[in-house]
Amino acid sequence: MIFTGGVMMVESAQHKKEKYIKQKTPGKRTTVARLVLGAVFIFAGIDKIRHPGAFSEVIYNYQVLPDQLINGTAILLPWLELILGGCLVAGLWLPGAIVLTNMLLLTFFGALLFNVARGLNINCGCFSTSTEPVGGTTMAWYVLRDSFFLLLGGRLFFALRRMHSDDERQKVFQGP
Amino acid sequence: MGKESTKTFLGLTIARQAAVLVFLTTVIGLGVNQVRSNRLPLIEDWSHEARLKTPSGQSMVISLDEAKALFLSGEAMFVDARPSAEFEQGHIAGAVCLPWQEFEVFFDSVFPDLLPDATIVAYCDGETCDLSEHLAEELYNMGYENVRVLVNGWSVWRDAGLPTEG
Repeated sequence: MIFTGGVMMVESAQHKKEKYIKQKTPGKRTTVARLVLGAVFIFAGIDKIRHPGAFSEVIYNYQVLPDQLINGTAILLPWLELILGGCLVAGLWLPGAIVLTNMLLLTFFGALLFNVARGLNINCGCFSTSTEPVGGTTMAWYVLRDSFFLLLGGRLFFALRRMHSDDERQKVFQGP
Repeated sequence: MGKESTKTFLGLTIARQAAVLVFLTTVIGLGVNQVRSNRLPLIEDWSHEARLKTPSGQSMVISLDEAKALFLSGEAMFVDARPSAEFEQGHIAGAVCLPWQEFEVFFDSVFPDLLPDATIVAYCDGETCDLSEHLAEELYNMGYENVRVLVNGWSVWRDAGLPTEG
């Protein structure tokens, strides 16, 4: 009885340890989400870096920023996307990169919804800096696509929180 | 040692890393912008008057009063850059339909009305609508040198009680 109890206790500790490791390690899907989102950000940043003038037109067309901030945003935003994408893909500085990525995604999504709500058909300028006018279906597609990116970003954010949260399981490793 | 301390620690890590990433972005972004050939000025005048200039530096924007005078004297041809469905719902009296989105489709039918020397007033609807701007630029490049833009044209025209049809 005592022996069995001992085994059970060991198993239980082993179980706790596994659960802890599982909590502290990102799952495959989270890793895929991180790589996909990182690649998307790198890809999105590069075209804008190459065509700053065209990108400033895109920002102007969104009609959400005061004129004085348009060019500064056109200069800096693509680099932020590229650097964040690089961090996500390389797995560097994930806490900061994931939070900034989510803030950007929320901002983009907000600006897009704002323009859908007021019936303005704009080219989102997400991946190419062309300013050809687009139709309503394209706007719906942008919203769908941005929602998907937000889901990926949300997944990363909650994985980050989970991996950094302190709870009972952590005490397994804390020793006496 | 509880939940609070670790959360605060994560929050600090996030804040510190985010600050450094933003700083890095600013240094690289501004630095690259300074050395590249197609650099952007940090602050630019994005007003309609400043944006819409002919190569000689003359503004293409026309005021409602000027447009009205040209309309009454019959010197101007009004060109509606909005989609044709909106044109059919109502437009400035005597205007021709030349939607920027279907420029090639409509241009041939409008071409006989566009006299090279006449003043052409392009308009669309909304303070931020740029269809008429694109149209005016295109017409200017095609050789119509007296092309102007009436910003937010349909709204200001209708609200001023000027002649409309459709």
